[in-house]
Amino acid sequence: MQNIFKQEWFSRLIDVMLPVFATLAALGVGAVMLLLLKVNPFVAYGAMFEGAFGSGNSIAETLVKATPLLLVGLGICISFRGSVINIGGEGQMIIGALLATQMGLMFTDLPGWFVIVLALLMGFVGGALWGGIAGYLKAYFGVNEILTTVMMNAIAVQLMNFLLRGPMIDPSQAQLASKIPQTARLLDAFRLPRWMPTRLHLGFLIAVVLAFLVYILLWRTTLGYRIRAVGKNPDASRYAGINVKRQIVLALLLSGAFAGLAGAIQVYGVNYRMITDGSASGFTGSAGFNGIVAALFGQLHPLGTIPASILFGALLVGANKMQRVVQVPSALVIALNGLVVVFVVSSDYWRRKRQRRRLAQARIEEDDEPDEEPGAASPAQTEVVA
Amino acid sequence: MKSKLLVLFVILALVLTACGSGGEKAGGGTFKVAVVMPSSIKDLAFSQSMYDALLKVQAEKGGEANFQIVYSENMFVVDDAAAAIRDYATQGFDLIIAHGSQYGSSLQEIAPDFPETAFAWGTTVDTFGQPNIFAYEARAEEGGYVNGVLAASLSKSGVVGVVGPIETGDAKLYIDGFVSGARATNPNVQVNVNYIGSFSDVALASEAANTHVAAGADALSGTAQMVVGAIGVAKENGALWFGTQSAQTSLAPSIVVANQVYHWEVVLNDMIKLINDGTYGGKSYALTLKNDGLVMEYNPDYSIPADVKAKADETVKGIIDGSVVIMLPSK
Repeated sequence: MQNIFKQEWFSRLIDVMLPVFATLAALGVGAVMLLLLKVNPFVAYGAMFEGAFGSGNSIAETLVKATPLLLVGLGICISFRGSVINIGGEGQMIIGALLATQMGLMFTDLPGWFVIVLALLMGFVGGALWGGIAGYLKAYFGVNEILTTVMMNAIAVQLMNFLLRGPMIDPSQAQLASKIPQTARLLDAFRLPRWMPTRLHLGFLIAVVLAFLVYILLWRTTLGYRIRAVGKNPDASRYAGINVKRQIVLALLLSGAFAGLAGAIQVYGVNYRMITDGSASGFTGSAGFNGIVAALFGQLHPLGTIPASILFGALLVGANKMQRVVQVPSALVIALNGLVVVFVVSSDYWRRKRQRRRLAQARIEEDDEPDEEPGAASPAQTEVVA
Repeated sequence: MKSKLLVLFVILALVLTACGSGGEKAGGGTFKVAVVMPSSIKDLAFSQSMYDALLKVQAEKGGEANFQIVYSENMFVVDDAAAAIRDYATQGFDLIIAHGSQYGSSLQEIAPDFPETAFAWGTTVDTFGQPNIFAYEARAEEGGYVNGVLAASLSKSGVVGVVGPIETGDAKLYIDGFVSGARATNPNVQVNVNYIGSFSDVALASEAANTHVAAGADALSGTAQMVVGAIGVAKENGALWFGTQSAQTSLAPSIVVANQVYHWEVVLNDMIKLINDGTYGGKSYALTLKNDGLVMEYNPDYSIPADVKAKADETVKGIIDGSVVIMLPSK
């Protein structure tokens, strides 16, 4: 029996580690590209690691980068568990950030903590609204949410550019010819507390706490149970008396809310104003998309998404540092990140295959004598690992 | 199974142990410049204009031993750029250039923490009153005006199309100057301006150019790095192209007429001199036709009618001596 437990435990560990192995494999392919550019991959990856974890400050930078990924990723855990594909993280971040920023610009007389709380709440609400629209359209009109969420991204970008270059523009910019699309700077009192002297802000802690809350929501509450039930089998859920349409709206609503919060925290924790170069990623840093990868990295588990977003944040921060140190074209950095995404997403296929095999195994074990199976189980699993 | 895992861990360990080796290239007496750019150093536009200028300065100073250049490209995420700027600052670079007006607010935060480091940013005139921030801008409307004069003179259809990114910075200056120059030359010329809302969307820039061509434009211009798409469309349709920021002739030698090229070395040389003398900022610069920061460069493979060329030269002279006044739309 001891042996069986060990097998099971070990096999699950491999599952958890699969994304890490996939990342290493991607970096292996990346090493070939680096060699083609006549760059020593050890020096390059050394710089990457140093940039991401080499000092207290670089760890802080990694966590700062991981924060929006984690928040968006939490929303993705909820929606994907409900079989709702939310690709609108970018737009939801933008709307959340716009609403949150407006709070800070409007209520300059109110106490700092109050405005921060209000702004983060409004970020949550803004993202929820933006996601909720897509949810409503899917639930009641059968409009594909992949299309609507992507389209809503485009609308959000236009809205952002209009507001940041029009009504919300920094008054000092409004007079200049440059007219940079940015708002005025928020008051110092409205900044999320930082762990000086680094840029690590309270937002990371908020995100981690929320990860635990999302875990509780998904696995310890009726709401979470319903969302997951609808995700697994909407027809069965309907027979069980669950209001399927409502769960779909809720899944996208909550998913958007977390992205919106990510946007608000980006403004109040990092930039202290909303600023863009006119594109969505200029503001979000593509966290609305990368958060999806982080969540898949974490196997759509809120707690798994914590280390996953830190790892992905480290990759992003480290890759930039790598570019600075070995001076490779930024296209390589983008390619490297792309490789990691492809490898990690592919590794999910292996994980699922292993899971199916394990389930089948468990079923056989239930039927047969328990102590005959472990011997038969290990060769099959070894094959998969190889 | 375990041995395979072991191999993986050995690889992991190798990757980890390699980490100590990623150090910086040190050099005593070398002037070290770091530049953070929103697009690629080969974008044939804004970023390349700065990179080319730095290379030119490097060549004048006697190569890498005396003048070291380190760059971060495609830093379109403001937050990433801020991290890069701060990282360079901690490494003791002599001059850190934040080559994008969207980086200003980051610089405002970072520069006070590094009083011994000189920072520069553009395009802008604002040094935030900081003693270690230089500001630079390009009076792009000057060459824009000259290009406008050329376009209006050479267009047969009387319709000219302009593809812009976002109505901001030197892009807005250039386009306003272009429109003004075209109208001053031929009041009947129709100048269609389209801001596509992006600095990077090459496909959208192509679409905008296609729309201009469909509306009858036979002369096109545009500014920022996404115009490479529009130049392609101009080439396919035999429309003339008027470039700015960097020399874009190489993209379509048959149809590029002229480029307004930014020569930042004028600004860089003065900044470097000040920094070596102990002044780390507080000054703002402008590239103009007068100080040779802006240069009209003509495509040798395209033969401009002599009278048109003369008119362009006259316009340049007029802008320099002040007899040609460029009317820009009020805010």
